[in-house]
Amino acid sequence: MKILVTVKRVEDWESKIKVRPDQSWIITEGVNYRANPFDEIGVEEALRLRDANAPSEVVVVSIGPAAAGAEIRSGLAMGADRGILVKHDGFLDSDAVARILVKIVEKEKPDLVVMGKQAVDVDDNVCGQLLAEYLGYGQVTFASKKESLESPEEKGKKAGLKLSADKKSLQCAREVDGGLEVLEVSLPAIVTVDLRLNVPRYASLPNIMKAKKKTIEELLPAALGVDIAPKVKVVKVEPPPLRTAGIKVPDVAALVKKLHEEAKVV
Amino acid sequence: MPNQLLSDRDVEFLLYEVAHADKLCELPQFADHSRETFELFLTSARKLARGVLWPAYKPMDEAPPRLEAGQVLVHPVMREIWPRLAELGITCATRPYAVGGQQLPHTVGMLASGYLMAANAAAFGYAGLTAGAAHLIEAFGDERLKRDVMPRLYSGEWAGTMALTEPQAGSSLADVRTRARPAGDHYLLDGNKVFISGGDQDVTANVVHLVLARIEGAPAGIKGVSLFCVPKRRLEGSDNDCTAAGVFHKMGWKGLPSIALNFGERGDCRGWLVGQPHQGISYMFQMMNEARLMVGMNAVATASAAYHEAVEYARTRLQGRALSQRDPSSPQVPIIEHADVRRMLLRQKAIVEGGLCLLVTTARYADLGDTRSLLLLDLLTPIAKSFPAEFGFESNTLSLQVHGGYGYTSEYLPEAWLRDQKLNSLHEGTTGIHGMDLLGRKVVQQNGAALLGLSEEIAIDVAKAGGSEGAALQQAVERVGTLTMALAASGDRDKFMLHSADYLTLFSIVVIAWQWLRMTNAAAGKQGDFHDGKRQAARYWFATELPRVEHLAALCESGEASYAEMRPDWF
Ligand SMILES: Cc1cc2nc3c(=O)[nH]c(=O)nc-3n(C[C@H](O)[C@H](O)[C@H](O)COP(=O)(O)OP(=O)(O)OC[C@H]3O[C@@H](n4cnc5c(N)ncnc54)[C@H](O)[C@@H]3O)c2cc1C
Repeated sequence: MKILVTVKRVEDWESKIKVRPDQSWIITEGVNYRANPFDEIGVEEALRLRDANAPSEVVVVSIGPAAAGAEIRSGLAMGADRGILVKHDGFLDSDAVARILVKIVEKEKPDLVVMGKQAVDVDDNVCGQLLAEYLGYGQVTFASKKESLESPEEKGKKAGLKLSADKKSLQCAREVDGGLEVLEVSLPAIVTVDLRLNVPRYASLPNIMKAKKKTIEELLPAALGVDIAPKVKVVKVEPPPLRTAGIKVPDVAALVKKLHEEAKVV
Repeated sequence: MPNQLLSDRDVEFLLYEVAHADKLCELPQFADHSRETFELFLTSARKLARGVLWPAYKPMDEAPPRLEAGQVLVHPVMREIWPRLAELGITCATRPYAVGGQQLPHTVGMLASGYLMAANAAAFGYAGLTAGAAHLIEAFGDERLKRDVMPRLYSGEWAGTMALTEPQAGSSLADVRTRARPAGDHYLLDGNKVFISGGDQDVTANVVHLVLARIEGAPAGIKGVSLFCVPKRRLEGSDNDCTAAGVFHKMGWKGLPSIALNFGERGDCRGWLVGQPHQGISYMFQMMNEARLMVGMNAVATASAAYHEAVEYARTRLQGRALSQRDPSSPQVPIIEHADVRRMLLRQKAIVEGGLCLLVTTARYADLGDTRSLLLLDLLTPIAKSFPAEFGFESNTLSLQVHGGYGYTSEYLPEAWLRDQKLNSLHEGTTGIHGMDLLGRKVVQQNGAALLGLSEEIAIDVAKAGGSEGAALQQAVERVGTLTMALAASGDRDKFMLHSADYLTLFSIVVIAWQWLRMTNAAAGKQGDFHDGKRQAARYWFATELPRVEHLAALCESGEASYAEMRPDWF
């Protein structure tokens, strides 16, 4: 089984993010970068699926600046087999990313593409859906797990996505309002993962050293024949409004009254 | 913002702007490494520290180990933490490939450990002790111990301990009494140890004690003490007659049991000699630099976690108004607006970051490994151990102080770190013992070669810095030189050692001033809050601490003898 998993380089949410004075974007100087946390869950799931279904291969793909090689290397250090970096500096909209990925899928012919449900920088949550649509593949979004993250299944590092006996389909639980829905999707397919699918491993030092010998292939969007001119325009970036001070209520009755009359939630 | 424990930015600064850790990769033993492997490993260590060890800190502090039916039971969360620590590869990260290590420079390994220590010193303690025990076998053990025991320690299948202390042999290890009687391919051990950290637990399948004991008929004193490997269970799994006799009720490090341990209550405790007979203390001493740097790192880490907690608290706690604000209806300000609170924060910053820089400096000497670097490492080790322990304790009290009355309650964390920190001035040699080691041995051996080497190193950075701070440091270093010569010339050993504690303090102040100069050199010409903060903390240290050197030096030189001449009966 061949699994393609995407990893995006994003701003570290622990960095102090400030908006540029002209509101065109954020100030990137002094900001730390890291792998999108949803994507790390994707890598973990791909590794578990691979290890339960040998022989299999996990290929990590990132689209971004040369520095995104670090995020691929971190996927390789977790245990993935090789990497592909599609190099591009500057803004890319989700549609361009999806169309680049179409080309990578055509080239690699994976049985499964695992992606984070969204990237924590712009929170679009459309890339996986677009990719499935362009390829005409089935898709399962917000993949999750029936068992909790404290369960023996999780402690035993069992994959939440289950490959069928004939290896032609995959069973996935997904998060919906008020619970989980279990779907079966035929392969090849796109799966986007949610937070409660697994707890990703840390790259151990021995695996970090092994990753040095793994290859990262570098490609350019133009060479793949993809027009990446954005269709989405960033009009303005604003920081979220500052939280205003809370208030104290004398008793529960007053709280309920406020929740009912002002917040209108009960 | 969650407590970052150790500042990522500071770690990056120290590694690449001050110590140029990437240059270490030019040495053959580190050729497989690069900034990329360093960063990947530090990232993993940070995640493990912040995501796993840190959430377990308070629960472990609140529920210390118990002894039940001869077995020590530790907090169950340790069974989740231990495999993850082992998986990370921290126990043998810096060891050679030949023993399963990854030849990571100590400079990087030290900082990775620092994150884990800041998150949960007690939890990391299990790994630190195991690494120490395995390293002793690696360095001195025979092929059998290296085959059967060492790999199981490095992989985390088993855990290790250091069993040195006995009731009558604490600082004075020459008085160790535990006996070892030859019995074929092994020895039978008989004796009582106290304070043995990790001495028993219900986390790993076996515990391997590295024990100091005397072979029957051995000469008295240091030269009669040997080192033994004594597992709780023998290789085939049977019980080896090591009895947990009691757990100590400690003020800190509550997640790690420290126990009284009896060997040979039934006369059947087997031990295997490590290395040659009667060399135990000398073996331990060869490992001690490493262990002492780890204690120093621990002390910095414990002060660092508390410092970051205090900065965050001071930004959010509203209390009082500016001195110039007369309007009582104006809103209260965050306490960080008060200069006296910033005094407490800046002092913590100067101690924490100065200490961290010193640990990086010493670890780098260990990595360089040439004769001169090792001489400097040897000289600086007592400072790298005791400065963070002693000044770190003060830093921890300041963190508590910033929290006001709330800091005195266990709903807040500073009191817990303060309790943890105290240990660092006691274990691996008390501060008093390090003061005597520095003055009585380190600065005078080889006709003061190490001290001379240190002045040369400092002179390089002084030349780079120029300016008044450089000149002040140069003057202080010269003062240390003349003081040391004057003391050594006195000829009377008691007089010479009289103010060893003050000497340790003034020496530490100078060495930390040097670290601050190194940092301002690295920050030169760089703008922004981070580098401005560095310059300000350096300014603080040079203005408030460095002038104390002259006072302390005069005290040492004067032969002032109030406590020396104080008679026990006068208390
Ligand atoms: C929590 C904890 C964990 C520990 N873990 C371990 C462990 O894992 N393994 C282990 O073997 N030991 C361990 N120890 C023991 C520790 O190393 C000793 O406590 C330490 O060496 C001091 O010995 P002592 O307690 O007997 O104090 P003492 O030696 O009795 O010292 C008491 C005081 O007298 C001073 N003093 C002693 N001798 C001299 C001298 N010659 N000149 C001047 N002053 C002197 C000391 O500086 C100190 O202030 C641990 C201790 C603690 C508290």
